[in-house]
Amino acid sequence: MATFKLDGKTVPFEPGDTIIRAAHRQGLTIPHYCWHPGLSSPANCRMCLVEILPKPGQRPLSLDILELDAKTGEYKPVQKPKLQPACYMAAADGMEILGDTSEHVVKARHDVQEFLLLNHPVDCPICDQSGECTLQDYWLEYQKTQKRMHDEPVHKPKGVEFGATIVYDGERCVMCTRCVRFMAEVAKDPVLDMRERGNLNEIFVSPGRRLDGHYTFMTEHVCPVGALTTKDFRFKARVWFLRTAPSVCQGCATGCNAHLDYDPRYNKAYRYRPRDNEKVNKYWMCDEGMLTYSEAHDGRVLEASVDAAARTTAQALDEVKSLFVAVPKDSVGVVLSARYSLEDNWALRELALVLMGTKNVYRSGRPDGYEDDILIHRDKNSNTLGVSELAPTAKPFQALLDDVAARRITHVIALGGSAPVDASNLRAAKLVTIAAHRGPLTDLATVVLPATSWAEHSGTYVNAKGMRQIADKALEPLGASKPAWKQVADLATALGFEPSWTKLKQIRGQLIGSAAAEAHGTPQVVAGNASAE
Amino acid sequence: MEPLDIELDEGELELPAEPMHLNMGPSHPAMHGTVRMVLELSGETIAKVDVQVGYLHRGFEKMCERGTWAQVFPYVDRLNYVSPMLNNVGYALAVEKMCGIAVPERCQWYRMALGELARISDHLTCDGAMAMELGAFTPFLWFIKAREMVWDILEEETGARLTHSFGRIGGMAEPPTPDFKKLCLAALPEILHVVEEGERMLLNNRIFLDRLENVGPISKADAVALGWTGPCLRATGVSYDIRKAHPYLKYDEVDFEVPVGTKGDTLDRFLVRLGEIRQSKRIIEQSLARMADSGPVNCDDPRVVLPPKSEVYTTIEATIQHFKLIMEGAKVPAGECYSYTEAGNGELGYYLVSDGSGTPYRVRIRPPCFQIVGGVSKLIEGRMLADIVPTFGSLNMIGGECDH
Repeated sequence: MATFKLDGKTVPFEPGDTIIRAAHRQGLTIPHYCWHPGLSSPANCRMCLVEILPKPGQRPLSLDILELDAKTGEYKPVQKPKLQPACYMAAADGMEILGDTSEHVVKARHDVQEFLLLNHPVDCPICDQSGECTLQDYWLEYQKTQKRMHDEPVHKPKGVEFGATIVYDGERCVMCTRCVRFMAEVAKDPVLDMRERGNLNEIFVSPGRRLDGHYTFMTEHVCPVGALTTKDFRFKARVWFLRTAPSVCQGCATGCNAHLDYDPRYNKAYRYRPRDNEKVNKYWMCDEGMLTYSEAHDGRVLEASVDAAARTTAQALDEVKSLFVAVPKDSVGVVLSARYSLEDNWALRELALVLMGTKNVYRSGRPDGYEDDILIHRDKNSNTLGVSELAPTAKPFQALLDDVAARRITHVIALGGSAPVDASNLRAAKLVTIAAHRGPLTDLATVVLPATSWAEHSGTYVNAKGMRQIADKALEPLGASKPAWKQVADLATALGFEPSWTKLKQIRGQLIGSAAAEAHGTPQVVAGNASAE
Repeated sequence: MEPLDIELDEGELELPAEPMHLNMGPSHPAMHGTVRMVLELSGETIAKVDVQVGYLHRGFEKMCERGTWAQVFPYVDRLNYVSPMLNNVGYALAVEKMCGIAVPERCQWYRMALGELARISDHLTCDGAMAMELGAFTPFLWFIKAREMVWDILEEETGARLTHSFGRIGGMAEPPTPDFKKLCLAALPEILHVVEEGERMLLNNRIFLDRLENVGPISKADAVALGWTGPCLRATGVSYDIRKAHPYLKYDEVDFEVPVGTKGDTLDRFLVRLGEIRQSKRIIEQSLARMADSGPVNCDDPRVVLPPKSEVYTTIEATIQHFKLIMEGAKVPAGECYSYTEAGNGELGYYLVSDGSGTPYRVRIRPPCFQIVGGVSKLIEGRMLADIVPTFGSLNMIGGECDH
C-alpha cells in the first residue's frame, strides 16, 4: 500500500484519499473546521494547512512575503513555503508532510484561529456549544494568545430562526459551510447557502423556504461551533455535566448508532448525537430519531396497575395469579414485541414455549410509516428481525385478534404497549401487558407491569440489515420499572413456574448459542462496551 | 497480661500488680481531638503505648482527585492548618515541576517571604501551646499575640487569616500589596520582641525547664531511622534542612543558619523552633530586600494561568482561556513527580501522577507529622504519664497532616 509521511509517521492511504482523510483513518488529527469525513472538501477554513516538502532536487514551492524585523522596525522581503490544505491535497506516494513540526504550519494555524476569533462574540457563558466547541479547543491547542484587535467587532444577525428546529447565530459562525454542504449532499435539499463576502458573510435559507425536512438536526450536529443550535437542546443543559452511553436509536428498523447524553444528577436524558458507524448510519441520524431520546421519559408506564388503578408490582402479580387460575394453556396467547430487545423477547418466549408450553405466540409492534432512501426505514420497530429470529413461527398480530374473537384465546400476556392495527377487540380477553410506554395494549390491559425503556437497561437489537447491536444502559430505572426480562421472570414465578434466568448474562449466553441466530447467519455486531449486568 | 512489677520483694505490701489500661484521647485537649493513646500504666510509668491516628479522616488525597489541579489548593491548606501557605507553595511547586514552569523571580521572593511568615506562625503556635499545656497560660497569650501580627500581614495579603488558598499554579492569586514590605519590616522586630519576652518567662522558670529537660529524648540514629525531618530531627543534632540540602525557590541565595540541638529532648525541640523563628526573620528581610516592587508575579503560560477578569469579560480569547482552565482544568502533562519542601514540621512531599487530563490522577502527600507520630511510643515508653503532654506537644502533631 502506498504511504506518505506526516511529521515522521508513516501513513498508508488508498488511491483518491486526501491527506487529511488518510491521517484521520490512522487516528492522526490535522486540525480542521470545514472538513467532515462525510462531506466534500471546500478547503475554505484554512485550518488544515500543511507544509509539503519538495522532492529531493526540486525547488520548494514558496511565496515572497514581507516580514517585520523587530530590531530595525522595518519590513524585509523573505520567502516562506506555500502551505497546502490537507483536506484538498491528494495524497501521493512518498510525500513528506509537516504539520505540528513545521514552524510555518504552527504560525498559520495560530493566525487562522486568530482571524476566526476576530469578530467572535463573548458568548461562551451563554452558548450551548461551550465545552464541545472547536474554537475553544483549538484556541488552547493552536493559538494561546490574547486579542490584539480592540475595535468594535462586526455585528451580524443573532437568533435567526431557520425553521421549526434550528436557530442560527451569525456572529458565532465561522463560515465552514458544513451545514450548507450537508443539506445539499446528504439531505439532497440545497436549501442553505452563503451570502455577502468577507466579514459580512452569513448563512441564509433560500428565500421563500424554511429549513425543514427530515434531517435538519444534522446541520446543528455538523456545526463545529455554536452558530447553529437546536430549539430542542437550546439552554437545556451544560454539556460538561452530561455523561454519555452508546445507544441505538429505537425510532425505526435502521438502528442508527447514537450517543445518549444524560445527566446522572437528575437521571434525565437530554439528547441524542449520532455515533459514527460506516455500516449503518455513517455519521448521521434523522430528526425523528434524534428526538426519540425523549421517549426515555415521555409516555412511560412507571407503576403497575390493575384495571387502570395504580398498584404495587406485588399486588399486580397477585392479580395475575388469580386471573390465570385454572386457565388451560392453549387458551393463553403470548405476544412478543418488535420494539423490545432480544433479551426481553427471549424471556417471554421462554415463558411461553418452555414453561407454559403454549404454542400460541404472536408478535406486535408499531405500524409502518414514512420511509426515505437515506436513513429512515418503513418499519418503525427496532427489533423486527430479532423477533423473527427468536420465534420464526410467531403469528401476526391480526391472528391474535381473530383468535380472541373466536374465543380460542381467553388470556393474553403481551410485551409492549403498541399494536400495528386497531386492537380494541382484545377487550374480550384478559390482558396482562409488560410495557415501558403507554399504548393501546396498556389501555386495554387488565394488569400492566412497568418495564424499563431501552435507556435504562442494556439490550440487543437486530436492525433491518440483520446486525445485532447493543444499546447500553444510561439511566437508572425510573419509577417501579424493571427490565422486561426481569418482569417476565417475576411473572413466571407468580404463575408457579421456575424461570431459568436471573441475570442478563445468562440470557446473552443463550442468545449467542441460539440456533435461530446461527441459521440466520447474522454478523455479531456489538456496539459500544456491552456491560452484562 | 503478665504482671510487670516483677521485682517486688516478698514481704512487701502486695499492691495490685495488674497494669492499668488508660485511654488518653481522642477527647483530650492535649491530643487535639484527633489522636488516641492507649496506655498501659504501671503505677505512673508508661509500660506500653499504642498511638492511634485516624480520628481526623477526610480522605483528602481522594478528594484531591475529584476536581481540577487548581482545586487542590484549598485541600492542601487544610493539611498543616497552622502554616497553610507553606503547603500551598509546596503544591504549586510540585505541579509547576510537572508542567516545566518556572515562576518569575518576584514571585519566588514573595513565596519565600510569605512562607517564612507562615513558619513563624507555625513555631509560635507549637511552642506557645506546649507551654500552655504545661499550665503556663501567659506565655501562650504572648506567643499568640506575636502570631496575630503575622496573621494580620497574611490577612492583608491574602484576605484570609487561616486558610488562604493563595497559591496558584504558575504564581500567586494576587501580587504583593503595595504596603507588604513596610508591614513586614515594621512587624518583624515587634514579633521578635514579644517572642523574647515570652521566652524570658519560660526559660528562667525552673519548673518549666524541669518538665522539658531530658524528657522524651531520641538519638540521631533513631530519628533518622523513623524518617523524622524538620525541627524534631534537627533537635537531635542532625543538620538537615531541605532549604539548605536541596534548595528550592531562592533559598540558595539567602544567608541563614540551621539551628540544631544536642540531646534531642523536648527542651531542644522547643529551642530549635525559637531559633528558627529568628532565622525566618533573616530570610524574610533578605527576600524583601531583593523582591522587585513591580513586575509580573504570575508566569506567562496560558495553559495554566488565568487571564485578568477585565479581559475575560470583554474578549473571546480570554473567555475561552478562562473557560478551559475553570471547566476542564489546566492540562498537566502525563507523568509523575515527587516534589518536596521544608514545611513547618519537616519534609512535605507531594507525589503527583497525571494522566494528561485536567484532573489529578493521584495526589499522594508525604506529611512530616505522620512519620513523627510514628516515633511517639519510642519517646514516652518507660517514662511518667505526665511527660506525655510536653513530649507530644513538642512534636507539633497536626491532625490534618496525619489523615491517611
